[in-house]
Amino acid sequence: MSGLRGLNVVRAPSPPSDASFTTRLRSAAVAARVGLVLGICFGIAFVTGLISHYAQNVDQPVPFPTSPSWGYRVTQGLHVVTGTACVPLLLVKLWTVYPKLFQRPPGDVRRLTLEVLERASIGVLVASAIFQLASGLANVTEWYPWDFSFRPTHYALAWVAIGSLLVHVAVKLPIIRGALGSDVDATTYDRPSATRPAALSRRGLLRATWVATGVAVLAVAGNTVPFLRRASVLAPHSGGGPQDLPVTKSAFAAGVTSSATSAAYRLEVVHGDRSVSLSREQLLGMDQQTEKLPIACVEGWSASGTWTGVRLRTLLDLVDAPAGSDVVVTSLQERGAFRHSTLPGNFAADHRTTLALALNGEPLAIDHGYPARIIAPNRPGVLQTKWVTRLEVLT
Amino acid sequence: MRGRTLIGTLGVLLGLYGAWLLVSRQDRAQLVGAAKWLVAGVVLHDFVLAPLTLVVVAGLARLLPVSHRAPAAVGLVVLGSVTLLAIPVLGSFGAQTHNPSLLDRHYVIGWLVLAALTVACVVVAGERRRRTP
Repeated sequence: MSGLRGLNVVRAPSPPSDASFTTRLRSAAVAARVGLVLGICFGIAFVTGLISHYAQNVDQPVPFPTSPSWGYRVTQGLHVVTGTACVPLLLVKLWTVYPKLFQRPPGDVRRLTLEVLERASIGVLVASAIFQLASGLANVTEWYPWDFSFRPTHYALAWVAIGSLLVHVAVKLPIIRGALGSDVDATTYDRPSATRPAALSRRGLLRATWVATGVAVLAVAGNTVPFLRRASVLAPHSGGGPQDLPVTKSAFAAGVTSSATSAAYRLEVVHGDRSVSLSREQLLGMDQQTEKLPIACVEGWSASGTWTGVRLRTLLDLVDAPAGSDVVVTSLQERGAFRHSTLPGNFAADHRTTLALALNGEPLAIDHGYPARIIAPNRPGVLQTKWVTRLEVLT
Repeated sequence: MRGRTLIGTLGVLLGLYGAWLLVSRQDRAQLVGAAKWLVAGVVLHDFVLAPLTLVVVAGLARLLPVSHRAPAAVGLVVLGSVTLLAIPVLGSFGAQTHNPSLLDRHYVIGWLVLAALTVACVVVAGERRRRTP
């Protein structure tokens, strides 16, 4: 790649300039091709991120659909996989344009102003892009080494990243078009000093980038694609766990170990002044249904489970809840943002939505929400409330 | 030109919306935390990772025979980027004692296997290039 000579110039008394970088690999021809794929991956991550954000919103002008049941599993899996794919792509992209950082500013005021503005937009793009990838990769392992709140920050900076990406594309459009329209070895847009052949050809560097991206994807995709589980040596979840299903929040972490196993446990179903109180035995005595539904976590892992329990609609009928009402689900958890979740009317009415008492043929494990949990189709896992103690119909 | 102006304007608007979202929904301490991460990412890339890459590439160029340089460059792109994205799992910083299903692989062994495979591919490709000049 850049080789010895570039480094020797760096050691020279004058500070490095873009002319110090002489390999012909650091070129617009390579940057445009890697940038195109990187831009597509950022676009997919942006759109799937918006879907995930919307699915978690309490206020939804247009109700999030309940079908297909695997929809969120696919969009959130794609979100994390494309985000991971961006790491090699962004690194190579930044490597090819690194000399630009040392470019001497132009003399006249008009061009200088434009250059300052362009560099500011690039600075915002690079900072937000690195931020999104680094914070996302830490978040999928539940590592939070920061003071900010992850979800609003990752969401806000997604808009900043995609906005500055559009500005970057608008500024570079003629070069992008020209570079993509001509041969990868064309020298039209090369810097004058970038003439030294490197160990790799430009095609070789591009192939290396695609291979690195493929390896990165394979190394993590088993988080959500079952047949890749064995190959994905860097996936945060192997797919195993109690009853063959991973866990994001354990009963211990939620502080419900004693309340969930207490004989005093009751499920309250409330609608206005009507209410019903049911023990787990009474719930088990009701008609049971079995549904195969995925748990798809916002952290990007997903797995399918076979859930058995009482259809939610049956429980709501006990208190004469009108069809299509929203239902607030309350957990035994005493604190935390996900102590409550709201099941929108269309989810509460869906026949597949179940208050699950068993998973994969066994009584629900405590880490999966014993004595009872909500499982609905096409929902972020964080809203599939565990250790459910109260269902309140909103009127 | 009109198309470019349109894309650029849309980009500025989306970016400003993001900036407004960022500053309007968190307190000062959280914003300072986010700003630190934004700056640290750029500084770590531009002034640590990029120069380090220059040094590693220069070192490999000096140590390796010509036949092995191209395969080694490919190996560096693959292993370097995958190692960087694996930092959170390699360190298992998010591990929780009561959740054995999180970070439940032997990541260091997995990484060593990946590294060994990469080095093996580089050596085999390099030897083949040496024999067929």
